[in-house]
Amino acid sequence: MTVHTRPEKPSAEAAVQAFLGQIDASIASYLETCVHCGECAEACHFYEVTKDPRYTPTWKLQPMVRAYKRHLAPFSGLKRALGLAPSEVTLDELEEWSELVYDACTMCARCTVVCPMGIDIATAIRRMREGMVAAGVAPEGLHEASDRALNTGSPLGLTLRVLQKQIADQEKETGIPVPVDVKGADYLVILSAMELIGFPEVIGALSRIFKQANVSWTFSSAAFEATNVGVQIGSKEIATSLLGRVVDAAEALEVKYLISPECGHAYGALKWEGPNMMGRNYEFEVIHILELLEELRLEGRLRIGGKDSRRLAFHDPCQIVRRGGVVAEPRNLMAAVAANQVVTAHAGINNYCCGGGGGVSSNHRAEELRFKAFAVKKRQLEEAGGVDALVTACANCRNVLEEAIDEYEMDLPVLSLTELLAEYLEPEGGAG
Amino acid sequence: MTPAMRILSILFVLGALLWALVPADALAQGAPGFQAGAPPGNTLGATSDAEFWRQVRQGRLGMVSIPDPYAAVLVRSEGDNWRALRNGPISYYGGWLLIVALLSILGFFLWRGRIKIEGGRSGREIPRFTLTERLIHWYVACVFILLAISGMVLLFGKYVLMPVVGKAAFGHIANACLQGHNLFGPMFIFGIVAMFLVYVRDNTLNGVDWNWIKRGGVLAKGHVSSEKNNFGEKVWFWMAVGGGLVLSTTGLAMEFPWIPTIIQVQWANLLHATAAIGLVAVALGHIYIGTLGMEGALEGMTRGTVDENWAMEHHDLWAKQVMDDLNVSDGRRLPPEPAAGGPGGGSKDGAPQGAPAE
Amino acid sequence: MTFLEWTEGPLWYGASAIFVVGAAWRLFGILRLGRRVELSRPRASAASGALAAIVRHALPRGEYVERTWYHVVAGYLFHLGLFALLLFAAPHVAFIHDRLLGVGWTPLPRWAFIVVAELAFAGLILLWVRRICDPVMRQISDRDDHLGTWLTFIAMLTGCLALQETSPVLRGIHMLCVEVWMVYFPFSRLMHAFTWVLSRGFMGANYGRRGVSP
Ligand code: SF4
Ligand code: SF4
Repeated sequence: MTVHTRPEKPSAEAAVQAFLGQIDASIASYLETCVHCGECAEACHFYEVTKDPRYTPTWKLQPMVRAYKRHLAPFSGLKRALGLAPSEVTLDELEEWSELVYDACTMCARCTVVCPMGIDIATAIRRMREGMVAAGVAPEGLHEASDRALNTGSPLGLTLRVLQKQIADQEKETGIPVPVDVKGADYLVILSAMELIGFPEVIGALSRIFKQANVSWTFSSAAFEATNVGVQIGSKEIATSLLGRVVDAAEALEVKYLISPECGHAYGALKWEGPNMMGRNYEFEVIHILELLEELRLEGRLRIGGKDSRRLAFHDPCQIVRRGGVVAEPRNLMAAVAANQVVTAHAGINNYCCGGGGGVSSNHRAEELRFKAFAVKKRQLEEAGGVDALVTACANCRNVLEEAIDEYEMDLPVLSLTELLAEYLEPEGGAG
Repeated sequence: MTPAMRILSILFVLGALLWALVPADALAQGAPGFQAGAPPGNTLGATSDAEFWRQVRQGRLGMVSIPDPYAAVLVRSEGDNWRALRNGPISYYGGWLLIVALLSILGFFLWRGRIKIEGGRSGREIPRFTLTERLIHWYVACVFILLAISGMVLLFGKYVLMPVVGKAAFGHIANACLQGHNLFGPMFIFGIVAMFLVYVRDNTLNGVDWNWIKRGGVLAKGHVSSEKNNFGEKVWFWMAVGGGLVLSTTGLAMEFPWIPTIIQVQWANLLHATAAIGLVAVALGHIYIGTLGMEGALEGMTRGTVDENWAMEHHDLWAKQVMDDLNVSDGRRLPPEPAAGGPGGGSKDGAPQGAPAE
Repeated sequence: MTFLEWTEGPLWYGASAIFVVGAAWRLFGILRLGRRVELSRPRASAASGALAAIVRHALPRGEYVERTWYHVVAGYLFHLGLFALLLFAAPHVAFIHDRLLGVGWTPLPRWAFIVVAELAFAGLILLWVRRICDPVMRQISDRDDHLGTWLTFIAMLTGCLALQETSPVLRGIHMLCVEVWMVYFPFSRLMHAFTWVLSRGFMGANYGRRGVSP
């Protein structure tokens, strides 16, 4: 049976109801406290490249603010009675805001860093998208991806056969067998759709690293896809259903850890939002691949045998660093493998987004804006004196950056940190 | 900023000279022929009281046993003269000046109406004032308005307000206005200095302005070629800076009256009132033309951008420059040739986008 | 009853009651919405994250200072100035001593009062003029933003107009304006004076447990 995620009839009421359902004390405090100072605009790459005031982060929340102030906020009854409450949100407005909420926000949270009131726009946008889905104004591209994910298990429609083929290729390449469905392994590996289709070398990289570090790991043929388009489109239902498959598979294999791959939103979905969506904690722990690699390095199980001499800069994926809390690990790993690391201005928790996170890259109509937004990354790199290659830890960032680099006709490879480490592993048997 | 600094220092020197030139007793009538200590007239009654009072009025020095010689003056006429000037010609003609200014604005409105963008809006905007320029403009505007209102109450309130609200109420109002005026004064000084520094670049007078004057400026039919600011706007800038300098210096003298001599404070007060009335009168015109009087002008100072057609009609030389720059950086197409260079300012030809150049 | 007695008597008590009850209700109304229990395993402490955010977001961030210095400077001029006036203006100290707490402290000397008032006014005016001429702030500002600023301005202004402390009428007018401001406060964005703790705190807790302090 095929599933369709788009509601049959667009409805503003459904949006308002969903907005209200999403607002807890924290979101309410954000909607209440914004003093309209506009600082956040300066932090948002979409505003910075367009100078369009509609792209001011707090403005993107406006319909939800109005619904809240009209129906839920303290004194809203009094204000409605006096005719002072804001007007009801209309479908036209929601359609207009669809662009602001989906095309012009990657939920990167850079705006939060600068906000004097500490307003968490990214989380609020995530909640607001629930209402946008309910209203039927979410972009087509994300609905298509959601439908595919629910029907095939992968937003790109990648089946088990694809995984098997990639595994076979990588086994041939590295000569190391890749474990699948090993019950009782310590670590379960899943991949983002983008890695599966575009960057399968990561499988080989993992086999080599885990072989050196003597890690017990496995793939699962029941769930191998980490990408959670549900958290991108903003539908708890879709997100929970996709997440459930992974959690079930991990628990069936009785692994101790689930490795969140090089994928930004997957990490947030698995590690932070996941247990809340499932309504329980898992029987295993979620660990990000960078956390694991750093742990192995510190234990001496991951041994780096040389350094890359190119000028390498690390692009911090927002969902892993700023919103994920994996801040020190990529820095230490980079230092271990890059001889000429370039630290760009704003690196770390202030880094600029690649421009395509939060479902923006699966949303075709946002393409032009996304390429525009890359201008800030480009400038950031130029100001650092130029680099030979970018390193990152999110396959979506990687894909978005590569596409933009093509668009700008630049010559700049984008590497995966895991793959880079695998390349410089101390040779087997070698002592130094 | 070197020319700017030079101009600023010249202004300061001028201000200082002006100040030094005020003689300490400029307002006092000389009182010749009397010796200090000697009683005026024949106090035994041989001379008339008129003679006696005339001498008193002329600042005759009596005798006192305290060191302050001023205490030996029974009536200090300078104060009386100051009051006569302030409450007389300055209030009277100043008041009329403001009324005339308002009437001329009304007349101008009846004659020209709201000046429209003749070519209509092009829908394309070009940047006119930077955020810094706008912020400083509005800061000065806010403080100026507060000062103008409180100052006008202090100067004219006695004639205009007191008869209406009564003496007691006016006492409170005047008291409040004085406190407010003294409070906001220093804030104005910072504003006017910042304004000078930021705006002076676009307000130096040159040949384009001479042409503008010859062709009749705002009174001309059609539009006269102009840079970012036309001659009228430049004059307004220099009036604001010059007036601001006078107001600041004299204002400080009144706010710290123990530093200058009493006579200088009186002069300061008169100069202050005169400069203020002048500036308020011109400001009324400025406010009118910037808001009601001209379509498309205000947004330059709020959003910072103006319509291309507006820019070409009113500030063609500057607009062309900006559009050329944009053209280079943004790949926008070239603006049409301005027609305002032709005799009589054929703005009708120049205004519509894409119209062939003459 | 004279005008001043009215404004220092019944109107003052009424406005104070609305202010206190209204603000408390507003805060309660936000907190009553509750937060769901966080089930994910924290990496670090949410409480220290909240504290860190409360402090860090009061300070300008180095990386962004070039863009934010205007608001930082004007914002602090205004807010610090306002609090200094509120707590240390001589008539306020006397009022607090006589009417509210029964204790007093050393007030600002008159010259300091004037300097502080000027800085506070400059800050408020600078903040407001940016609201009317910055495209971003124009886009996001609403009636409440302007009304709140204006009422605050008028309350401060009438206070300074009564600076000579000789006119009971001027004092009464100041009291009245402050009372209007107090009544408006709980229903408006002026409430940010209290809710900033909530927004910074919730955000800080959310990220704090993830081990990061944005
Ligand atoms: S979360 Fe990122 S993309 Fe979204 S509004 Fe904030 S800065 Fe912009
Ligand atoms: S920076 Fe924060 S307080 Fe200021 S407008 Fe943006 S969200 Fe609102």
